Amino acid sequence: MIRLLAGAVIAGVVAVRIWFRVRRHRTTGGHRTGGGGRSRLPWAGVTGDVGLVASRELRERFRGRVFRVGTLFILAVVAGAIVIPTLTSSPARPRRLGVVGALPPATMASVTAAARGVGTTVVLVPEPSTASARAALHDGRIDAALVDGSEIVVEAPIRPGDTSATAQFVRAAASSLGVTRAFEAARLTPTQVATVAGARPLPVSSIQPGTGTGSAKSTSVVGLVLVFMMLTQYNTWILMGVMEEKSSRVIEVLLATVRPLQLLTGKVLGIGLVAFAQASLVVAFALALAEGVGSPLLHGTAPLVLVSTLLWLVLGYAFYCWVYAAAGSMVERQDQVQGLALPLSLPLVFGYITGLMAAGTGSASALVTVLAYVPLTAPFSMPVLVALGAVTWWQFTLSAVISIASTVAVARLAATVYRRAILRTGGRVRLRALFATGR
Amino acid sequence: MAGHLELENLTRRFGELTALDHLSFSVPAGQVVGFLGPNGAGKTTTMRAIFGLTDLDAGTVRWNGAPVSQAERRRFGYMPEERGLYPGMLVADQLAYLGRLHGMSASAAAGAAGSWLDRLGIADRAGDKVESLSHGNQQRVQLAAALLHGPELLVLDEPLAGLDPPGIDTIGGVLVEEARAGCCVLFSSHQLDQVEDLCESVVIIDHGRLTTEGRVDDLATSGARRLVVRVEGVRDAAWARGVPGITVSEVDGGEVRLVLEESVDVDTVLRAAMAAGRVTTFVLERRRLSEVFREALR
Repeated sequence: MIRLLAGAVIAGVVAVRIWFRVRRHRTTGGHRTGGGGRSRLPWAGVTGDVGLVASRELRERFRGRVFRVGTLFILAVVAGAIVIPTLTSSPARPRRLGVVGALPPATMASVTAAARGVGTTVVLVPEPSTASARAALHDGRIDAALVDGSEIVVEAPIRPGDTSATAQFVRAAASSLGVTRAFEAARLTPTQVATVAGARPLPVSSIQPGTGTGSAKSTSVVGLVLVFMMLTQYNTWILMGVMEEKSSRVIEVLLATVRPLQLLTGKVLGIGLVAFAQASLVVAFALALAEGVGSPLLHGTAPLVLVSTLLWLVLGYAFYCWVYAAAGSMVERQDQVQGLALPLSLPLVFGYITGLMAAGTGSASALVTVLAYVPLTAPFSMPVLVALGAVTWWQFTLSAVISIASTVAVARLAATVYRRAILRTGGRVRLRALFATGR
Repeated sequence: MAGHLELENLTRRFGELTALDHLSFSVPAGQVVGFLGPNGAGKTTTMRAIFGLTDLDAGTVRWNGAPVSQAERRRFGYMPEERGLYPGMLVADQLAYLGRLHGMSASAAAGAAGSWLDRLGIADRAGDKVESLSHGNQQRVQLAAALLHGPELLVLDEPLAGLDPPGIDTIGGVLVEEARAGCCVLFSSHQLDQVEDLCESVVIIDHGRLTTEGRVDDLATSGARRLVVRVEGVRDAAWARGVPGITVSEVDGGEVRLVLEESVDVDTVLRAAMAAGRVTTFVLERRRLSEVFREALR
């Protein structure tokens, strides 16, 4: 499943690159003849211009140091988040238990069950004497030694708060072996003792809908951070990119050949593709790394959470990019941007924090459930509901449809603001002035 | 590729201010036309209107008799007053991008960018960021951006502003060459001497209205005759003030500029000057563009 997802994400990135290359070839055309060499399809000029603007954004952003360093930074953070927990818990390494004397089947079953109970496995290492077992312990060749089925020896004392795998295993084994000895003392047959010692815990089910697995919740937190970082970064690019075109006056040269809507669409599409490529790279990297190191981050329903996070990253970007583009067209200086940045980021921060709180507590509050249907906050709330198992497919789809419909409305409004504001220079443009007098 | 531009009845109001007031003129193919007017006369608004960068309250911009659309504008070249380039983009990449927006293929745009940078003497800066270039070189890149796609109409807002003499010669030379090749060239400037050198025709506007339009030669030789007279040892124009039908327009270090009425005989003026002393200069002068300009704004 995970390999399949990683493959799909990489295939998506490759497909986008090929699409752009094909577009570039298709839109090559004439010189002086006013488009004689262009494709003759009536819409080719429109898609060609949008494609040209988008590919410039892609090229310039990929070329930029900010993007490359930023991507490496995100990958490093993701790698840390996946690898560090596996290093501290080391669930993959089996515990080595030195055994002095005979090991009846009941005792062996008891030790194995104790290891399974704390999420590890055990390898039994026969030791000829207590002295050799102590030497092996001292050298670190074994983690603990069982002497004649009646005593467990460890290298250093185990403190009550010690949560290392060895400490957990030794505690569980000591307790389990104690019970096994008690069964033997109660004169159960060896077969009965073995049956009791190998007992598995009962499955536990709840009356309320499931609250998701631990790994799905962790994944949703990582996803929330990713969505917040990316929406913030790429929307800022949109805002600054539009403002730069306005303040450098390159907008006049551009709008002398392309329509405002084409320029705007190309810009949000280009930066959006950069965002999606980066997010896909991060997700593919995370999947491959988690698979490689056996991280529990992607077990259970976590891949589903990841896919829904990616989907909501796209939907969230699609919604917010227009808002930021319209805002960018109204300013032409850095200090004017600061006045806009705070109110624009408030819904993002609100959605992010409420999402994090829900993922942390493990229960979907009424607020988060409502926010999951509001396009401004749904990119954060909906993936959390998925992680908590608190949403059905139709609710998910309904929220996506609401978001897409709102995006269409917001894009239309933003395009109007952009068209009217982008050529107005000399101070911050006010919305009221924009709609009072036209361009 | 020859074509002509017609502006018909352009009107644009910004609130109380009328920037363009029923402005009409035309730019023929193969000519460099100077577009003159004092600050705030409406030159930039007119040029922006040609490219659809400002809405018009009334009027039409026509190219070869038909209203201008986006397809035609792709074949025009524009250099705005407030220069517009991406500061952080490489010069060659930027030109290639703008060429492609004008409908060129990637290879044609790259080739044209290279040859224009070479022609404008900045081929060695192709791989530099625009922001690292001097003002003059940025202006050259901006001109290359306007010329790259071989435009049929070239509209340049103050292309010579802030340039050193070699820069003016280079850019001026390119404009004349483009016009000779059949391009329609309209450019605005406050440097009237250079306009006189480069342009066949001028259009002068004020308060958004056309005041004067015509060939430079016609405007220079039209109107009253002008004489420049210098009389050795005489610093003022007292000798001329007595002659009927003469107006003294300027006295500059002993050199006197006179405007003659139709009825005045040049010989009469010469005799009056000789009576005042030894005449060292006596030239019938063409009207300078600066004079045409000043008269147009009166």
